[in-house]
Amino acid sequence: MNLIANNLTYKPSEEYHLNEVSFNFKEGNLYTILGRTLSGKTTLLKTIAGLLTPDSGAIEFDGKDFLKVPVWQRNVAMVYQQFINYPHLNVFENIAFPLRQRKIDNEEIKNKVMESLKSVGLVGYENRKIQELSGGQQQRVSLARSLVKNAKILLLDEPLVNLDYKLREQLREEFKSLFSKGLADETILIYSTTDPRETMELNGEVIVLDEGKVLQVGPAKEIFENPSSLKVAEISNDPPMNIIEAEISNEQIRFEGIEIKAPNHLSKLTDSGLKIGLRSSDIELNENGHEFEVELAEISGSETLLHLKRGTIKIIMSIEEVLNFKIHDKIKIDFKIDRAYAFAADGKLASSPFGGNNG
Amino acid sequence: MNFKHKYFFLFPGLFVLIGILIFPIIFVVRLSLSGWNSYNPGLDFIGIENYIRLFTDDPRFWESFFRLSFLSVTTVILQYVIGFALAHMVWKDIKFKRFFRVLFLVPMMTTPVIMTVIWRTFFHESLGPVNDILSNFGLSPKWLTDPALAKFTVIIVEVWQWTPFMFLLLLAGLLSLPKEPFLAAAIDGASPVRKFIYVTFPLMAPISIGAIIIRLIEASKIMDTVYVLTSGGPGTSTETSSFYIFIKGLREFQMGYAASMSFTYLIIMIISLTIIAKVLTKLLLKE
Repeated sequence: MNLIANNLTYKPSEEYHLNEVSFNFKEGNLYTILGRTLSGKTTLLKTIAGLLTPDSGAIEFDGKDFLKVPVWQRNVAMVYQQFINYPHLNVFENIAFPLRQRKIDNEEIKNKVMESLKSVGLVGYENRKIQELSGGQQQRVSLARSLVKNAKILLLDEPLVNLDYKLREQLREEFKSLFSKGLADETILIYSTTDPRETMELNGEVIVLDEGKVLQVGPAKEIFENPSSLKVAEISNDPPMNIIEAEISNEQIRFEGIEIKAPNHLSKLTDSGLKIGLRSSDIELNENGHEFEVELAEISGSETLLHLKRGTIKIIMSIEEVLNFKIHDKIKIDFKIDRAYAFAADGKLASSPFGGNNG
Repeated sequence: MNFKHKYFFLFPGLFVLIGILIFPIIFVVRLSLSGWNSYNPGLDFIGIENYIRLFTDDPRFWESFFRLSFLSVTTVILQYVIGFALAHMVWKDIKFKRFFRVLFLVPMMTTPVIMTVIWRTFFHESLGPVNDILSNFGLSPKWLTDPALAKFTVIIVEVWQWTPFMFLLLLAGLLSLPKEPFLAAAIDGASPVRKFIYVTFPLMAPISIGAIIIRLIEASKIMDTVYVLTSGGPGTSTETSSFYIFIKGLREFQMGYAASMSFTYLIIMIISLTIIAKVLTKLLLKE
């Protein structure tokens, strides 16, 4: 059973929320929609769920016109970024709600709800009121509610974004194990997120969305290795990929008084207006390197992020340990230039270290 | 906080409370123990004679009380159902939403007494437009002079006059509900009807209880409608407690006896409204 969309467009005001979005989702697969905030992720999920009607385009599921099916008959489940539950019902009834909408006897409802409580680790909480639970537990209840009905399409709209760091890590692990269990066999799982790391960890098929337009589709690894354009590179890296305007000639890359021997995949590029892209993790401290000035140093978790400056260029590097730097410190760094990307003047990928579009 | 003149600041509020609530209640109790009437004005003391008369020798009071219970419960139920339906209708995105919202409030903004005069003219048996139309079908119901039909007329006028108030309370309630449970319910497979039964109605329960109790208190004071429409008639068939107390106290000037009725009425109302509120809470909130 495939979920096929054709040129979905939704433009409620000046800006496009969806701009000719097309896809073909197959059952048993996990799809990740990656995009910044306001890129149209939620709109797309709501359109699939039936909460929004697109201005034009078509959605087909199992060979039927999905847009003609009212929301409550679509057999879709959805988990939202806000924790949405029924405030007047207790945990058990919240999870049982989708089952009560069908003719299912009480015994079976009880079994299914208990099973689903077990899978999200909330056994023993069934008689609690929703308001008595923490945010993470509330989100688990809505996850359990979406799992219990065995929907053919499961939509998860940034389900972790409103949780604190620890819970996010923990639930992400649980998601991964849930997705890898039987659930994934006949369900189309669609997961939207702004976090590239989440995308890579879930390791599904990725759809990169920006301003309502699909920029690139492919497996997570492919998006990471060969981003099709500058924008994708920006969206799929956190911190965003460093973009440096450079000149390549005689197998040398030149920028801001620095001259580096170009690696093979870059050496034959001759276009003007080239931009070099380099991940923050592909820059390292080196005594014999090039001098940069520290503009800002931030420690996040076990990582140190350095905002560096040299002349007119600004870059970000990340170091996998906690180090102390002072603002205006001068440090020396080196580039792992064999892992650099090149983008043409129009933003398209010109060459990647993984062989994409190799010139 | 320990300073001596704090009582001074309490005084204005306390003064008002004593002046308009506590003193009148105590005075009514004292009055009910006296035989004050037009021949015999003054606060003499006759014990509980008035209460004995009320409980053993005045079926008219109890009849009017049960009539009042019937009228107020019926009108409030009708107001709740109609008010909820109207509020639900303009809560959704329909055309001319604002127009309808204002339109439904018009009856509340009119003067009850004047509107009742208009209703009386409306239902006049020989001159009113209602019977003029119905006469074409060979009907001429006695809206105001048939004992059963007169009650029905009172109910119509009351419902027309006060449904907007219920509508307003319930619409405010609906507008304050969180949107998310409705999104969830749609996706969870609830059709619009089931959505109303399992989500909208339970979420509205606390507001419904409040609105019903407020309207019950208001409705049990019903006086002006009856006074203008039927003057309690025909006979005593539309007479309510407050109207009967008014007749005894301010027409026949049996002040002592009217006071004993007022006080009895107050106690009964406090007890029954408390019970009703408790029952409603149990029924609707399942607590």
